[in-house]
Amino acid sequence: MIMALCLVMAFADLRFFRVQNLMIILQDASIFLVLAMGMTLVITGRGIDLSVGSVAALSAVIMAMLIKDVGFNVFVAMAVAILVGVACGSVNGFVVTKLRVPDLIATLSTDLVFRGLALVLAAGMVLARFPDPLTWIGRGRIFDLLPVAAVIGVIAIAVGYVLYRYTPLGRYAVAIGGNTEAALLTGIDVHRHKIYQYMLLGGLAGLAGILLTGRLNAIQATAGMGLTLHTIAAVVVGGTSLFGGRGSMTGTLVGVLLLSMVVNALVMLRLDFFWQQVAAGLIIITSVAFYAALQDPSTGGLSGLLRRARSGRS
Amino acid sequence: MNQPPPSVRSDAPLLEMHSIAKHFGGVMAVAGVSLHLAAGEALAIVGDNGAGKSTLIKVLTGVHELDEGEIRMEGRLVSITNKRQSRQLGIEAVYQDLGLVDSLDAAGNVFLGHELKRRVLGLNFLDNDRMAREAARVLREEVGIELEDIHVATHHLSGGERQAVAIARAIYATDLKILVMDEPTAALGPEETRNTLALMQNLKSQGIALIVISHNLDHVFRVADRVMVMRAGRAVATLDRRSATKQDVLAYIVDAVDTEAA
Repeated sequence: MIMALCLVMAFADLRFFRVQNLMIILQDASIFLVLAMGMTLVITGRGIDLSVGSVAALSAVIMAMLIKDVGFNVFVAMAVAILVGVACGSVNGFVVTKLRVPDLIATLSTDLVFRGLALVLAAGMVLARFPDPLTWIGRGRIFDLLPVAAVIGVIAIAVGYVLYRYTPLGRYAVAIGGNTEAALLTGIDVHRHKIYQYMLLGGLAGLAGILLTGRLNAIQATAGMGLTLHTIAAVVVGGTSLFGGRGSMTGTLVGVLLLSMVVNALVMLRLDFFWQQVAAGLIIITSVAFYAALQDPSTGGLSGLLRRARSGRS
Repeated sequence: MNQPPPSVRSDAPLLEMHSIAKHFGGVMAVAGVSLHLAAGEALAIVGDNGAGKSTLIKVLTGVHELDEGEIRMEGRLVSITNKRQSRQLGIEAVYQDLGLVDSLDAAGNVFLGHELKRRVLGLNFLDNDRMAREAARVLREEVGIELEDIHVATHHLSGGERQAVAIARAIYATDLKILVMDEPTAALGPEETRNTLALMQNLKSQGIALIVISHNLDHVFRVADRVMVMRAGRAVATLDRRSATKQDVLAYIVDAVDTEAA
């Protein structure tokens, strides 16, 4: 897929391959890397969170108001943003588990709640011009080249990889998503671990809010509208099963980069902005359908296909 | 109600179930069934569909709470109202669906819920290598099966291997005393059936008691010491394998022997 895209872009516009442009792709991808790490765990646990965009906006608005209106230290305000995200995540987890509202409905509703709170707090204002540390995180470059945000994104994925493979948090997400009944029987506290997953994703959405604010050096309550779908698409393109039980952090890394490259390519091709939306949606459907076919149980998924290809040769 | 003597006898059998009754609404699923089981013994429960076999073992494994009767382990009166209590008593069940997490490997399943940890920089991480080694050892030494690749997801294993993993988990999860197996050979080919029956003999020789529900009398007679026949919620006969024939058992199952007369 990535190769196909590169091939198309090689013919269309070689500027796509400039280091500067690749860095822009990384910069764009950074917010999604952060969100997708948590989303991978939630989806692996057979959950979904449609509220991450609003959580990012709410956390960012609260952080911005603390800095601009109350005069908080910028680092304290950033910590508060992450805590707000964690709190929102625990609300999601609570509603999904203890109130037994299906995750789709639950997080669609909390999406409204969090967005609404952000709108109430910001009261239509755009908050702008923040202290240097915040903008450095959002748009700074290391050695004038590597975006700081991208480094944060890649670290997030690396931490996610460790969480997924080497901690009960990841292991139980697989177990809960793969066979909830079996997880319960072995004594795993399913509710508690689902809440942990949502809290982690919430905290990461808070971090995404920080990155968003820093990058634009401005924030408003309507920010981050398209973040959720894009994040879920990247995770699914990366090979994590929407039906739970199977996830891949490295796949998520690839999925995020792939989608960011597609969006970047559309910009490079000077597609009209509104058509970009249409194209992005169609490309997401295409790639998810493509990976769904690969994961079809009747073919044994990607690994099954590969194995069959290998045994066919030998 | 008659209180049995409260004293704990040292020679008491591993498991005693007295006059167990369970009804769902007006339907008597199990109507006063008693059984006993010694360590290392295998009891088969046979009978038609709806005879109450599954309900009876689900009372033992804590899926259903009994309405009447009592359960004793080694002479001690025990209360089993949920699955966890049952497991704490050393009772594990391997159902037909096995309850495995398909996307996890053998070790992931065997240690699910009580993973081995390793401290790195003051943090607890899963010790995947040790779990893989330990799972391979349990499978090899206690279950008697060697997986080609211990790291492959159980989804890709054969029916017999998957069953072995489920049994290894049961062995590892508790101080296993009683293993309940629901139709252990139903989904297996001939080769795997042989392995599973050998595995069951192996468990018996380690002092683990088996309760096996099966429709296959050939398999029942190869592994069980006694065969209990259930019909319409009652135990109509308990036969010794050495003195009974398959025809005897079959006759009880299909009600050719008039048990109500006499």
